Amino acid sequence: MAFMGVDVGSLSCDAVLVDDTGKLMGWTVVPTGARNIESIKRARSEVLGRTGLLESEVEALIATGYGRDRVEGRLAAVTEITCHARGIQALLPGTELLVDIGGQDSKSMRLDGKGNVMEFAMNDKCAAGTGRFLEAMARALEVDVGELGDLDRGAGGNVTLSSMCTVFAESEVVSLIAAGAEVPEIVRGLHRAIANRTVALVKRVAPASSGLKIAMSGGVARNPGVVRALGEALDCNLSIPAEPDIVGALGAALIAMERAQRQ
Amino acid sequence: MKEKSRKIGFTCAYTPLAVIEAAGFTPHRILPLSEVADQAGQLLHDNICPHVKRVLDRALSGDLPDLQGVVFMNSCDAMRRLADAWRTARPTDPVTILDLPIGADDRSVAYFQEEIEKLATWLGALDGERVTGDQIVSSVRKYNQAATALERAAKSAAVGGLRGGRRALQELFNRSVTSPLDDIPALVEQQLQNNEPKKDALVPVFVFGNVLPDPDAFEMLASCGVHVVLDDLCSGSRQITELDVSRAATAWGDLSRALLSRPACARSLPSLLPGEHARRILSMAQESGARGVIAHVMKFCDPYLVRMPAIRQTLRNADIPLLTLEGDCTQRSLGQQRTRIEAFVEMIGGSPS
Amino acid sequence: MMLEYFNNLISGIEAKQHLGKSSARSRFALELARLGRGLYSGDGTVAWCGILAPFDLLHAMGVTSCFVEFVGAMLASTGTVGPMMEQSEQLGYSTDGCSYHRAVYGAMAQGLMPEPDFLIGTSAVCSAGLASIENLACHYGKEMLTIHVPIDDSPAAVAHLADQFREMTHFVARQTGRPLDPVRLREVIGRTNRMRELTLEVYRLARQVPTPARRRDLVNFGIVSALFLGSPGGVEVVEAYCNEFAEKVAGEKPGLADERLRLLWVQNRIQFANPLEKLLEQEYGAAVVADELNDINWDPIDPEDPFTGMASRALSVSFCGPAEHRLQVLLRLARDYRVDGAINPCHWGCRQGTGARGLLERGLREAGVPTLNLEVDCVDPRSFSEGQLKTRLEAFMETLSRRKSSGLN
Repeated sequence: MAFMGVDVGSLSCDAVLVDDTGKLMGWTVVPTGARNIESIKRARSEVLGRTGLLESEVEALIATGYGRDRVEGRLAAVTEITCHARGIQALLPGTELLVDIGGQDSKSMRLDGKGNVMEFAMNDKCAAGTGRFLEAMARALEVDVGELGDLDRGAGGNVTLSSMCTVFAESEVVSLIAAGAEVPEIVRGLHRAIANRTVALVKRVAPASSGLKIAMSGGVARNPGVVRALGEALDCNLSIPAEPDIVGALGAALIAMERAQRQ
Repeated sequence: MKEKSRKIGFTCAYTPLAVIEAAGFTPHRILPLSEVADQAGQLLHDNICPHVKRVLDRALSGDLPDLQGVVFMNSCDAMRRLADAWRTARPTDPVTILDLPIGADDRSVAYFQEEIEKLATWLGALDGERVTGDQIVSSVRKYNQAATALERAAKSAAVGGLRGGRRALQELFNRSVTSPLDDIPALVEQQLQNNEPKKDALVPVFVFGNVLPDPDAFEMLASCGVHVVLDDLCSGSRQITELDVSRAATAWGDLSRALLSRPACARSLPSLLPGEHARRILSMAQESGARGVIAHVMKFCDPYLVRMPAIRQTLRNADIPLLTLEGDCTQRSLGQQRTRIEAFVEMIGGSPS
Repeated sequence: MMLEYFNNLISGIEAKQHLGKSSARSRFALELARLGRGLYSGDGTVAWCGILAPFDLLHAMGVTSCFVEFVGAMLASTGTVGPMMEQSEQLGYSTDGCSYHRAVYGAMAQGLMPEPDFLIGTSAVCSAGLASIENLACHYGKEMLTIHVPIDDSPAAVAHLADQFREMTHFVARQTGRPLDPVRLREVIGRTNRMRELTLEVYRLARQVPTPARRRDLVNFGIVSALFLGSPGGVEVVEAYCNEFAEKVAGEKPGLADERLRLLWVQNRIQFANPLEKLLEQEYGAAVVADELNDINWDPIDPEDPFTGMASRALSVSFCGPAEHRLQVLLRLARDYRVDGAINPCHWGCRQGTGARGLLERGLREAGVPTLNLEVDCVDPRSFSEGQLKTRLEAFMETLSRRKSSGLN
């Protein structure tokens, strides 16, 4: 008996399976592409394939994310906020504040230490500081986005970016390169800019954030440079789960399990 | 018998509608609801209240009923600019702007009384009837009847006893300022006939802010699981309220005081009462039995946006959850905020698991 | 930190004066620094007010008063506003709002605003300004008086505002325990009127072609002088300007050596250091000779009826009343100063001012005054896009230069 969670995001579609004790059985991440119906199907069949389970063995499914209403056969659609809270509680119990920076949006939520949301804030109006932002910057720097995280080691921090708009920041990076600024310094500037932006999002839900157990999820959590900069800006040690991209889908699967078991 | 189909346009809930009615005109609120081209930014600026811009867009597109004139109120910077722009957009329209004090003390009441009297004079010049104290009392009585009916409707909607729910209530609010006033009690009565049991899946919420006249918006909120048990919106419960104006001899002053003293928009700021607005929001939230509060505020609305941190803190101190939404008078913008609204409902509605 | 800043400024300027190196502008800066010191010193009575509060009247009652936007401007000019802006965002203030006020909220949270003894809000020039007084009142737990500024200047409106100013003196007397002293008030009004005369003369001299005013001379002059009204220091400042400008005009020493174009600056100045005005001078010989806020359009205050005069004075400010009033002020300035064009720095978040952008542009254009609108935040340098602004300015200046040389003016 298994329970599935599907997170249909703008950049990726994630599927997670848990068993009836909530233990993680398997997961997959599929790029969303232009047609999320296809990606949803792919994610569902891939995760089943990886766990060797059949569709019929999935007792309930909860869908979350931007495209949650397009998932067929779902028990319900639950927002990614609630799902992330539930997911991070399973991975890092007692988390009091979660920062999630995804492909093109970011969110923060204050939790009660038991996986319930007390307050949340979203920034989905612009891509500043998100995965897309980093991709654009990586392009401008002609490096792989996965390399960015380590490129700022040893940088002193003498470059500050003035604009957080993805488009203008890209031009600014190009100008900085042309002016001879060193890549580690530019990358450090980028990471710090993202951190500052994120701090504002944190303060909206937790004006007094020091002393709270803070975790980070989402693709950008894989960038150690951002994590370091954010930790400095918040003056705390951020906890990162081993697989930061599937927190939402995991939470959805657990909610599927809990709802099904209640009935 | 004088024909009473002559319309005077207005845009703000502080407008002394009873005077317009008493002068033999029908006040007609120019609601920011139609789909017209986005031109207002050129005449003013893009970053200004969307309510003001949409109303101006209607003027620029000619998407208006036949109006004998337009009355503006000095409610805020954006409204002042709207009045300015209207004169350029429609130079042949008779236009007046009433000054609106920020307090409700005796001096403010006396000053606003003069403004109301000036309005009556202006209406007279548009071939309106001369307005007497008696007529004001009689007009206010009509408005009070409508207010009472609307309050009944609102209370019914709060417990699921209004056919069409909060959406239908909003339609009633809109009609009360665009249709003949006499129709309102009967329209309300019609909607009260069915008793829909309250849907348990909906979570009780108090909504405050300024302009949210689109009935579809309430439909959308309901589809996210929001049950609006009380509102403090100028396109909602603040629009037409019962006013204590019953003596002809003092009608003008009483009307002035009544309008200045009723539940206010954040633009009002009486002396010696800093933080009053936040306190009022808190007590409304507590009295409404809501489990959470949604602030729906026009983008670029300074009076509200500048007060949001204080309101947020006040509600936080009382452990009342708050969701802030910014509107731009389009369904699209509210739709983009669907996830927030659903997440808020999940958060306050009890555990989803 | 701020007190130290102002003290350093004062000692620096006084030292230069001692060496005979003094200019009218430095005298202005000195007075501004003394005001700053007065606000931050913790001595005496301090009031935070809206822009249209009658500062001379408050001075007469022994109150050191100022409008809050002053702090926003100071932080911007000293390059320290960035952290304040971040702080205010973290507090939840919308980034769509005016940064004069947001800077103040940040400063307030960081303990960099002097604690007021009381506050006086004015409904003009803007709604956000009024709300900022409320926020400060709540934060400091101090009493707040609010004044409604009418939207026209009819006798009834003037009387209403005058009554409120009178009421204000009772409020202040309750706060300070010192009633208004009529003798002191007369003295103060005498100085206000003297400053008025002198300022009119300063502007008359500044109107000369070429102008005697250098680039920095009259920046923020009008708006800040309102804070000095009625004080001995205020009179000295304006006297210094009068003397300096008169000397320069007599000696044929223009503010800009090769003045080729004359500009009207609308709304308010960019408060942080930026290369734009210097660029205008050096590349195009363009001097900002006129400024919307450097204007006196009020009559001397009648000591027998001071509140009425002060009310009329407040209502004469271009931001009061309809956009048409503003336009008339701008057209008069454009004419009197013989400008070739106008620049409107449409300050981000400003509804009352920037909100009239289209209407002003139309009106100025119809009257033959070419106008350039710039989208810029006058206090927050973080979003200053120098390249874009330069491009637009340069294109505009080229147009003006062409018009001038082909005799279109």
